[in-house]
Amino acid sequence: MIPFIQTTLDGVMVGSSYGLLALGFALIFGVMRRLNLSYGPSIMVGAYLGTLLYIQFGAPTYVVAIVAVAGSVMAGVYVERLCFAPLGVGAGVASMVSSFAIWMQLEQASLLMLPRHSYPFPSLTSGELLSVGPLVVRPDYLIMLAAMLAITAALHLLLYRTRFGLGLRAIIENSVAASLSGIDVRSTMLKAFALASAIGGVAGFLVLSANQQVTAMLGMWATLKGLIAMMIGGLGSIPGAIVGGLVLGVIEVHSQTLFGPQVRDLAAYGVLFVLLVLRPGGIFGTAAVSESAAHRGGDRWTTT
Amino acid sequence: MEAMLEIVDVVTAYGKIEALKGVSLSANRGRITCLLGPNGAGKTTLMMTVAGVLKPRQGSIKLEGNELVGLSPARIVGNGVALVPENRLVFPQMSVRENLLAGAYQRNSSGEVAADIEQMYTRFPPLKERREQLAGTLSGGEQQMLAVARALMSRPRVLLMDEPSLGLAPIVVKEIFGIIAELNREGVTIFLVEQNAHLALQVAHHFYLMEQGRVTFSGTPGELAEDEVIKRAYLGTRRSAG
Repeated sequence: MIPFIQTTLDGVMVGSSYGLLALGFALIFGVMRRLNLSYGPSIMVGAYLGTLLYIQFGAPTYVVAIVAVAGSVMAGVYVERLCFAPLGVGAGVASMVSSFAIWMQLEQASLLMLPRHSYPFPSLTSGELLSVGPLVVRPDYLIMLAAMLAITAALHLLLYRTRFGLGLRAIIENSVAASLSGIDVRSTMLKAFALASAIGGVAGFLVLSANQQVTAMLGMWATLKGLIAMMIGGLGSIPGAIVGGLVLGVIEVHSQTLFGPQVRDLAAYGVLFVLLVLRPGGIFGTAAVSESAAHRGGDRWTTT
Repeated sequence: MEAMLEIVDVVTAYGKIEALKGVSLSANRGRITCLLGPNGAGKTTLMMTVAGVLKPRQGSIKLEGNELVGLSPARIVGNGVALVPENRLVFPQMSVRENLLAGAYQRNSSGEVAADIEQMYTRFPPLKERREQLAGTLSGGEQQMLAVARALMSRPRVLLMDEPSLGLAPIVVKEIFGIIAELNREGVTIFLVEQNAHLALQVAHHFYLMEQGRVTFSGTPGELAEDEVIKRAYLGTRRSAG
């Protein structure tokens, strides 16, 4: 029983970083109804800038953290202006395709900065394990979990206690009705995009500092994990992102313990496949999708 | 009579298909102007163009002489034009109160906004009862009231309404039209799209008829009721008093 609990706990901790990645993804998808494939590569740009400062000038960890988040936001805003700001009929597909093109651009820019496959990344902790009764906890994982809880709580307050949050929720529900209420949809979307990239930047920094290295796979990895976790939870659902991330983490760690590391990703894709067959909208998605479609009525006004 | 909202030669197209082929009309200050027309005539397209959601290919839309074409929907709301859209489009997952707050998004004085919300509750008592309920759980009539109240929260000088009677029970429709007349008595200029000409005749001061993207009739309620073609198409063949 103890090993099972230990594995589940590890899964929750790993999953909290997936949850953060998915949170950024879901925020963008919820607000824009469009998929940002450049989400991971934006995080990579920030992380690589931080790494550059770290290995060239021995920048302290907090500077690396700030640069990683700020760089991710900058790259995110760049992607938004290029691929997502233009609205209009057919913009959804165009955004997705162009965000794929920008993916390549951002990844290549990062690789020009630091061409080797992997580099060291500063750790937040000394690496000593904490014991909680019979269980063992990695402190850097604990930080991940704490960050996920804190960011989720902060995002909840932002969404439900501020005027900006009210506008954001209105856009998520119906962007045309939001604009008719006087909400500046474009500027709110840009801010949401920057916020999502910042959350992604935090997630990227925490994962890298737990791994103590950064590799050229980061962009792909972050897009993939965030996307899968969001799909499990439900497209564009904020609670779904967190739950999807945790579910993904727990499945991955359990299957790795049971069947070995080769099976880890396979199990995650398998679960996603089964879930999408049984419940295409994801855990939180189905009800939301059909309901918003029913209430939207004038669906033809959602893409303009 | 002074024109509050003046639409001149507006062309709006979806791709190559022109939905509005040069529409000119105006809504006078303090009056109810009604736009009639069959499905697909371009009435909703016109409303969405005035509100800034759709960009016209040519033409001008002026509010008290100020050009609205080219402004974002949010700026147009800020200029004093609010649209109650077709199908209401309330925010279903937000409470009634939050829907009203969203309508006042650009206003900064929270005290005034709170006072206006109380005023909406007085005007629309069902909204007060359900103020913490999610808007998606309201009945059609209540959602229509909410959509009107949400638009009024921006304190518009011109209220655009796109088929407020759509899908509502006759008794509820009567209530909604009572509200429209009342708002107008309080000085709000109203520009209304309606399919139900009988109802519109009871409140509106001026009528336009739109067919296939063009204005084909403009006149007073009396002239509308006299027009043989309109009588047959929109007022039915019954010999009831018009």
